[in-house]
Order: sequence, then structure tokens, then C-alpha cells
Amino acid sequence: MKMTGIIFSNVYDTSLGDLTMKRTVASLPFGGRYRLVDFVLSNMVNSNISSIGLITKYNYQSLMDHLGSGSEWDLSRKNANFYILPPFASGATNVYRGNLEALSNAIQFLQSIKPDYVVLCDTTVICNINYEKALESHVKSGADVTAIASRDLCAYETVDNDLILKKGEDGKAVDLAIGQSLGEDSLAGMGMFIVERKYLLSIINNYVARGRYSFERDFLLTRFADDSVSINVYEFKGPVLRNHSILSYFKNNFRIMDERIREDIFNPKSPIYTKVRDEAPTYYAETSSVSDSVIADGCKICGKLENAVVFRDVTVEEGAKIKNAIIMQGSSIGKGAKIENAIIDKNVTITAGATLIGGSSSPIIVHKGDTI
Amino acid sequence: MIRGKSKECIAMLLAGGQGSRLKVLTEETAKPAVPFGGKYRIIDFPLSNCVNSGIDTVGIMTQYQPLELNDYIGTGSPWGLDRNFGGVHILPPYAKSKKSEWYKGTANAIYQNINFVDRYDPEYVLVLSGDHIYKMDYEKMLRFHKEKGAECTIAVLDVPIEEASRFGIMNTNADDSIYEFEEKPKQPKSTKASMGVYLFDWKILKEYLIADEKDPDSSNDFGKNVIPALLGDGRKLFAYQFDGYWKDVGTLQSLWEANMDLLDPNVPIELKDKNYKIYARNYAEPPTLISKTAQISNSFVAEGCSIKGSVKNSVISTGCKIAEDAIVINSVIMPDVEIKSGAVVKYAIIGQESIVGMNAKVGEIPEDVTSVKKDICVIGKNTVIGAGETVGQ
Repeated sequence: MKMTGIIFSNVYDTSLGDLTMKRTVASLPFGGRYRLVDFVLSNMVNSNISSIGLITKYNYQSLMDHLGSGSEWDLSRKNANFYILPPFASGATNVYRGNLEALSNAIQFLQSIKPDYVVLCDTTVICNINYEKALESHVKSGADVTAIASRDLCAYETVDNDLILKKGEDGKAVDLAIGQSLGEDSLAGMGMFIVERKYLLSIINNYVARGRYSFERDFLLTRFADDSVSINVYEFKGPVLRNHSILSYFKNNFRIMDERIREDIFNPKSPIYTKVRDEAPTYYAETSSVSDSVIADGCKICGKLENAVVFRDVTVEEGAKIKNAIIMQGSSIGKGAKIENAIIDKNVTITAGATLIGGSSSPIIVHKGDTI
Repeated sequence: MIRGKSKECIAMLLAGGQGSRLKVLTEETAKPAVPFGGKYRIIDFPLSNCVNSGIDTVGIMTQYQPLELNDYIGTGSPWGLDRNFGGVHILPPYAKSKKSEWYKGTANAIYQNINFVDRYDPEYVLVLSGDHIYKMDYEKMLRFHKEKGAECTIAVLDVPIEEASRFGIMNTNADDSIYEFEEKPKQPKSTKASMGVYLFDWKILKEYLIADEKDPDSSNDFGKNVIPALLGDGRKLFAYQFDGYWKDVGTLQSLWEANMDLLDPNVPIELKDKNYKIYARNYAEPPTLISKTAQISNSFVAEGCSIKGSVKNSVISTGCKIAEDAIVINSVIMPDVEIKSGAVVKYAIIGQESIVGMNAKVGEIPEDVTSVKKDICVIGKNTVIGAGETVGQ
């Protein structure tokens, strides 16, 4: 009972604004040393999935650079199939409008592989999930589709495009909506589905040919209304962080400091892998003062940090004060600079004495490579 | 038949020593696999030096407790040494048709691997040991070797004259050629101490290794036998002067000092150097979490840690947990150690995966902190110090 993984790297590009101007959602840095794709990819690898297709649309250079041959995820093996699937330019559709259309570019991949089942995933969701258990539930249910969903996520916040489900006694969906609460007891889809490979191929062929492009909206919702699809709801009970907007992304970075979330998502038995950069350990100077922060390797911290997420190879000079901020890889914060409620993208230089203060629900974003 | 072109220079790394002076730290671990500097093992330094010097073929001779070391080296991919031809090879002693034996000495270890070296048909062989912390470009040494027309070049370091009697000392002429080698001389004539880095013309070395093996009185050691034999025959030996940081970490005291050196801005060993990285096997650890109650000053902390206590002048390795109200001062904490609340660790080395219980006390501040001649308190691998216990006071 083997599974193939399909990862959509671009689905929510537009909702993350400036952060995805020069990258895909999948390659958005998260949590001090990761890219969003690391979580989905590690979950698949930890679930013994070794044939994986990653569908990209545009801006995928940084993603290719990050993934390389896949060896950090142990996917560079003779018996592993790890493919990055860029758009097939000569096809009928150049740029995908939705995930079904994107899948039509992965048809050859899906036809060429052996596993009977496919798990479809977005990269916006962060969690530590075992897809083998979800598959077990799918097979046992006999349903056409299994939607992986979370109660927590529904309670936390929902957005326009969220798939909302209501589960019956037998675990099958009894009600379904998009972007609309179904009252108490409803679950939010995590952008993860399990289907049989042959069934998925038939859906792609049927729907894309008729100009339908969304798996949730065009396929699930309409077929559910006709009563011609059965949906098994697999409830995932661990913590789920979903990054569908700049604000949720900003907040989620700090949520990994919550001990329960940290222990679950970074469970050493199912580790999250990422690209290795061979940085030295981080040095904390005598002048440093750090509290409630997550700090990666290769940094030099001489200033003050409070509630900060600091990526690899960041320098914080003496007297700099940083509060509620995300500082991405390779950035340097000059002497006496003051930063509050900000997202500092990669390789940014904040010169000495500069002040950057954003709102707690509207963080300032400094673009990759800029000097302030 | 050998497929693939020959290599100009390959490295042979001696990693078979027991490292008995590292006591509890090497009970189950070969010395080169002892953790260092927060996220490294000692062997990462010579291996990274090789890679940064353009040497892509390294034979690692192991025999003592090799499991952890073999596991650590793996295919060599963390150092980029997983090559189609060449790369890293673990070379344990093996049974031959007529006899089988352990590596009797440093020279014998290479003698037993003559076939391995010959497979790459190298012009030069670099002999290294796995217990030194230093960053050195061997390519420059090779250039020196060629310029001098040397048959053997030995890297040397200027040491203070009062310490010279602890080292193997090279006495040289004005042109850097070596006329005499003295092992730990009582009255040193020079301050050029051997760093245990030898570069040989393979043809010459092979000849001398075979001759040395035939001598039943030889202890099959480079310093004691091979180098004196070369000198005795008037071979061309040169001393290559190295100016950077170098430290033998063969004792607990020096291992602790070398870790502390990383924290001293006046000591020229920089780990954070984009142009000269020290590579290490990386484990998938999340970034370090530093809580509200934490206080960290003048310290290195690797990834995967959770720091809630106070850390000063220390090196904290990957995956350590330091609880609230715990205090760590001038200590080296090896990977995956847990220090529970209220525990105090001073001037100590805590081995991998050990646990220091609540309110336990390990080590103490020496009376004279300027010259720490006092023994550092050392806790071995996988040791549990019970709650409230006191060790090393």
C-alpha cells in the first residue's frame, strides 16, 4: 500500500504579498531555519513516501536551489522518485489557475509511478503528521477521497478559501462548505487529500478538459452536492499552523516557541529536514540579552532580542534592540538599531541607529537584499 | 585494473589511537569522534582541512571503538567526500592470508594499507592525525614541498621555549631543512614543534615503511622510527612553518582549553568563516529556543537546545536542555545533555547524553583562574548525576 506525494508549491502565492514577490510559498523561510516546503516534504519522507512530485508555477529558482537533489531529505536514492515538475509550456494550459489544472501537468508523472494512492498537499500548512495513518483510515473507510482536517485550525481562524467539513458518526463528511463556518463541531481542511491514483487520473482528465480547475470547488463541492462522491474525514489532532496571509505567517513564527507546539512539530522521531549550510554555532556576546527567542546557527548576537525568530547567519550588533520580529538568513542589524513588529527578509542590512517600528497586526516588511 | 585517473596527493588520517588520556570521554568513543566546539567532532577539522585544500581522497585508519566514528563518517557526504573515485574510506585492520594483526604503530597502520594508497597511484601522501584542532591549507604545504624538492615535509609550529620539551622538536638549517629531530628534548635547541602533519613522496615513504616493517626492533612509529631513519640516510627533510592556531586536544585539560579558546577573541581560531568552513554531520534539529528566564553571556550555543538557565563563558552543544535556575560557567557541555533546575556546573566537561540532576553541583571555580592547572571536572558519556549530588569539589 504505497503512496505517492504531490506537493503544490504555489497555490497561495498571491495572499502572501511581498514575501512571495521573488519566491514561491514553498520556499518561504519559516521558524529560524526552514522553508515551508521542508515540513510537507519531511512529513512525506517520515511516512515512508519516496516518490514525490513537486508542482511549481513560476519563481521557482529559490526552491530548486533549496531542494537540490533532495539528498537532505534522503530522496536522492536509486529507489526514490523525487521530481520537480515545472509548467509544461507546450501544453494547453501554461499557467495554472487551480490545483486540478496544476495536476494536469503532472499527468505523466502520475502515470509513470507505481503506488496505488496519492496524497495531495499544499505547503502553507505546518504540522507533523504521519500520512501512513491517514492512508489506513482512507482505505478502511472505502471513501473516494479522504480530506485531512483539523478542529483546532477551525477554532483559530478561517479564511475565504478554507474547506470546512462536518463529520458524521461513520467518519464521513455530512456537510461541506468553502469559506463558511458550519457551526460548532466543524473542521477545517488542511489542504491535504488522499485519493486512489487511478481515480485521481480520471478526475483530472474529466474536469480539466471541461475547463474546471479547482479540486475543492469544482470537484469536491459539486460532486458532494450530487451525492456522487464520498469523503472520509481524517481528523488530525496535533497542532497545525497555517500560513495563508502575512499576518498569520508572522504570528505562526512565534507560535513555535510554545512548548507544546515545539515538541510536537519538532518531534525527534519524525524530524523536519532542511538544507544544511554548515554554519558555526551561534555566539552570544557579553552584551547580549535574549529572551523568548528562537535562534538558528551561525549568528552573532551582541544586542537585545525579545520575542524574535532569527535565521542562520544573522548579526545583531551591540545596542540593537529587536522585539517581535523575524530576521531572515544573512541579515545584519547595526549598532543601536531599533526594530519592532517587523519581518526582515534575507540579506538585509539595517544600518546603525535605524528605527523600524510596525504595528503588531501590520508588521513592516523589509525586502530581500535591501539596506535601511 | 584501476579505473579513474591517479591522484596527485591523498591523505591518510590516523584515527586508531585509544586516546586514553581523555579518560571517560573515550571509554566508548574513538578520540577523533569526541565532540568539540558545540557541533563538531575533532575529526571534522582535519577532514575539512583536506576538503578546503583540494584533497578529495582520505583513508581513515581506525581500530579502537570504531562504531561511533564509522557511523559519523558514513559515506562522507557532509564533507563532500562521497566521490565516484576517491572520497573517504574507513580502513580498519583486516585479516590477511598469512597473518592478521592490529595496527602496531602509526607507521604500521599505513604499511598495512599500502595497497589502498597504491590504488590511487599518488605522488604525495599526507599523514594526519585525528586529535588536533587547527585550520590549515595543506595545498600551501604541498607547494612548499615541491619548491624545496623535499622528500618529506613536516609541519611545525613555533612554541614558547619553556613548553618546547613537551613536543617533538625539529632542528633546522637556514633553508628550513631538518638536520635533527628530538622527541621531547630536555634542553630544546629550537622551538619548532612538530604538528603531526607529514607530507611524503609516496615512493620514498613506501620504501621506508617496507624497511621499517622488516626491522623486528622497530616500534613502527613515525616519530620514533621512520623520521629518524630518513634523517639517518640523509634524505631531504624540510620543516614547513605554520602560523595559525593549532592545539593538541589529547588531554582533558587541553580539550577544555581549546573549547574556551573559541570564546576568546584574541585566539585566532574563527569557526564562522564563509571562505573556510568546518564541515560536520548535521542532524535535523530545530533552532535553539531561549526562554524569558535565560541569561547567556560570552558563549556558543548550537542548534536544538532549550536554554532557560544561566550560561556564561561556555560551549553548549547540539540538543542540550538547560533548565530554569541552572547555572553553567566556563564549561563544555557535549551534545544532548540535560541540566536540571538548580544544578550548578562550573569548570567542567559534561559528556554526551548525560543528565545533571536537580540542585546537583559539578566542578568548582579554581582558586587561580588565570592559569587553570587544576583538573577540570569531567563527567563521561551517558552518566546520570543524581539530584543534589556533588561531584568534583
